[in-house]
Amino acid sequence: MTGYIIRRLGEAIIVTIGVTVITFIMLHLLPGSLARDVLGPRASPQAIAQFNHDNGLDRPVWYQYWLFLDKLLHGNLGYSFQFNRTVDSLLATELPRDLLLGGLALILSVLIAIPVGIAQAVRRNRMVDHVGTGVSFLLYSMPQYAIALLLIQFLSISFHVFPAEAPQSTSAWGMLSHPAGLVLPVASLTLVTFAQFSRYMRSSAIDTLAQDYMRTARAKGLPERLVLSRHLLRNSLIAVVTLVGLSIPVVITGTLIIEQVFNFPGAGLEYFNAALRNDYEVMLGITVLVGLVTVVGNLVADIGYAILDPRIRY
Amino acid sequence: MRRVALLGAALLSLFAAACGSSSSSSSNGGSSPAPATSSAPTAGAGLTSPTTPPGAKQPGGTVYYTEGPSAPPNYIFPMTAAQVCGTNNISQLQTMMFRPLYWYGNDYSPTMDPDYSLAEQPSFSNGDKTVTIKLKPWKWSDGESVTSRQIAFWMNLYKADPAKNYCGYVPGFFPDNVTSVSTPDAQTVVFQLNKAYNPEWFTYNELSQIYPLPLAWDRTSLSQPAPKSDSGHLPDSTKAGAESVYKFLDTQSKSLGTWASSPLWSVVDGPFRLKSFTSNGQVTLVPNPDYSGSPKPTISSLVEQPFTSDTAIFNEIRSAGPSGVTVGNLPSQYAPQIDQVKAEGYDYNRAASYSINYFPFNLNNPKVGPIFRQLYFRQAFQHLIDQPGWINAFLHNTAVPTYGPIPVSPPSPLLSVDVANNPFPFSTSAAAQLLSSHGWKVVPGGTTTCQKPGTAANECGAGITAGEGISFNLDYQSGVTTLASEMNDLAAQAKRVGINLQLTSHPFDTVIQTAVACKPTDADCGWTAENWGAGWIYAPDFLPTGESLFAPGAVANYGSFNDPQGTAVINQTISGAADQEKQALANYDQYMQQHLPVVFGPTSIGSYQGDAGTMIAKNLGGYAANAYGYMTPEAWYFTK
Repeated sequence: MTGYIIRRLGEAIIVTIGVTVITFIMLHLLPGSLARDVLGPRASPQAIAQFNHDNGLDRPVWYQYWLFLDKLLHGNLGYSFQFNRTVDSLLATELPRDLLLGGLALILSVLIAIPVGIAQAVRRNRMVDHVGTGVSFLLYSMPQYAIALLLIQFLSISFHVFPAEAPQSTSAWGMLSHPAGLVLPVASLTLVTFAQFSRYMRSSAIDTLAQDYMRTARAKGLPERLVLSRHLLRNSLIAVVTLVGLSIPVVITGTLIIEQVFNFPGAGLEYFNAALRNDYEVMLGITVLVGLVTVVGNLVADIGYAILDPRIRY
Repeated sequence: MRRVALLGAALLSLFAAACGSSSSSSSNGGSSPAPATSSAPTAGAGLTSPTTPPGAKQPGGTVYYTEGPSAPPNYIFPMTAAQVCGTNNISQLQTMMFRPLYWYGNDYSPTMDPDYSLAEQPSFSNGDKTVTIKLKPWKWSDGESVTSRQIAFWMNLYKADPAKNYCGYVPGFFPDNVTSVSTPDAQTVVFQLNKAYNPEWFTYNELSQIYPLPLAWDRTSLSQPAPKSDSGHLPDSTKAGAESVYKFLDTQSKSLGTWASSPLWSVVDGPFRLKSFTSNGQVTLVPNPDYSGSPKPTISSLVEQPFTSDTAIFNEIRSAGPSGVTVGNLPSQYAPQIDQVKAEGYDYNRAASYSINYFPFNLNNPKVGPIFRQLYFRQAFQHLIDQPGWINAFLHNTAVPTYGPIPVSPPSPLLSVDVANNPFPFSTSAAAQLLSSHGWKVVPGGTTTCQKPGTAANECGAGITAGEGISFNLDYQSGVTTLASEMNDLAAQAKRVGINLQLTSHPFDTVIQTAVACKPTDADCGWTAENWGAGWIYAPDFLPTGESLFAPGAVANYGSFNDPQGTAVINQTISGAADQEKQALANYDQYMQQHLPVVFGPTSIGSYQGDAGTMIAKNLGGYAANAYGYMTPEAWYFTK
């Protein structure tokens, strides 16, 4: 297992470098000039030339990429001209908040989706299953944006139950001290993710229920509660573990809409704004981070498989 | 400020797209020509005097103010670098702590406010080549007086090369046109200029850039003791020293996390000081107890709240009401819901900022540039802009018409001309007539072609060939429903006179970056018309003159307009006699209205372009609209 993890981490580095190369090339193919964008409409040609020189933008692209890699290897993700801050400091502010928001929603989604999916599978084609399917389809087909606005309209504007704004504390701990503000953003994320997870869980559980070992467990007189918890749950979880692994990068950058609607500045919105403003180094920094987290997420899922299914060996 | 106004427009627009818009897409189609003269502005009246809510005035209270979407302050040093030059830094942070020498925006009038200024009106002598400034008695919070030495400090830094990055800098103008600065006494500064300038122009567009800087900032490291007025040699007095000081202050200003605790930025001469600044951009300002000016602040704090989107601003205003947002800029796409928002407990101020909206043609485009250079074509095209219709149908009466380089609203007492007169009202028949009288065969719904090439008065004009059609690309900012509606309407109207507009849209930054001044042989000269959805805010050049916009080689003359007579009228506003400025401005406006260096269109109101105005809690008194969007919370108070 140790060798496997080391191998996968090595792959992660190669994949991440590949992603940065592709991203770097694509960014330089974009029309327009960073200098003009940053310095604004008043900028004189001399000021633009000076800016390009100061930031190495008048050097060949390969050399600019080398400079980027050099900085990256020294732990420097670059500088955001939009925010006038280092990318490191931006991410240091936003990542803990993103992890809290996305992490809470992911955990809640899993905790709700597993029992709902199992309940639907066990009572397949009965009322519980039909209602669960209907709710899941409804939530899954609704844009996250619409869900968020509906929640705000009813629970914030009409009835003033929860605030429309996420906690504005700059730390994850500070946000937790205002739990009411977390309810709607977490709920908006959870409702969509839960709907997706519960469908996978239901499908996986139905497959598992048809296995011979399930019939054997029941035949030897094991109580239904134990059949479900010991045999059905564990064997059905592999699909959800895969989803959770793939969802880990989404925790960081996949909450763009929620960040916009609930006034929750995070890395997803940062990337979006950076893309609009040619803030290259922010985009590169977040790309590197997400590339790494994607590989780590897959690694976590692989380890999860081995834990859930002893037959799996690496 | 201009840049962020433009960026603000882009942001607002993008989020409008992301978050949906309730803007109407109806079009009046323009089937019937508008009256020969324009309708009166339907918005932009603004608050002409501060709010005076009923109830007893009470001291204290916290005002919550909305920052622009994803635009928190990020630069505190008032010699604001070009890349961070915006409303978020200047009017929402710096000017409340560090006062400019002269204050512009006398409430809603686009004039200087002598009461808020740190100096008496400048006096001009020596044939308007010498400027003498007398400072008022004023104190910094560290007990030092505001003296002439501090003006010299600013000028020394400004003349250092790195400071040429200051966003007020225009090559050849201030401070390049100042040959010497002297300080005969502590309260007097004398500038010698390289030639005579119109006093009004010099006051509004050059002296407007100056901020006295405290001597406590005249150092190159925090470990050095803060200099005092009795310190001898100070580093800024040499060019190398000034560069070092500038770089130090610039670096400190970029260290956002240290702002609140910095010994530099705690020295203020404005009514407020910074109490805290969080990493997500929340600003808390509290009164400066040593403020020399008047009125003194009565609120206990001003909290500027960062927001991620227009939707988030609107949701917060609707859900929290005045207890969560005391003063908020309403995003434009929510203009149809103004009445609902007012019902939450707000007054609504539809003040226009002193700005104009336009988009340029590329007069040097190698293919269609010859057509754009024909005055009759530009006039015909201006006839296709249905400003009253757009304002009504698309902008929900939160915009004012624009007919020339001088804003229609707010009205300026510095002008002697009615700038609200539209010489080219919406009329497709007038546009067709102009084309056909210049040798074009107008084919409504088809392609109008040149039938009479040549340079005579009734021919198409130089560089236009027989059979050539009028077809070009009009690129506009994506994500703005109102702008898309306007451009679609324009394309439809153009088609009615046989002009084929190919509409494309791109993000704001792409549009503004594409519109570059160029020569026909340049590789980047292929663009034809670029509309970034905003135009120009007159700040810190508060007098609406054209040296930055329409003079040859001007920094924002993107379309390469080059008209010797036009340049002459611009120069007259800069260098004309003191008693002739009103006439010079009138001549300039009239000339540009007729010669149309750009295509003028409706200008959105609000302190950011794209805002539908400002919501003010009903129990907040003293709030006044400033023509340039500056904030004066020292005058605000709560009532019971």
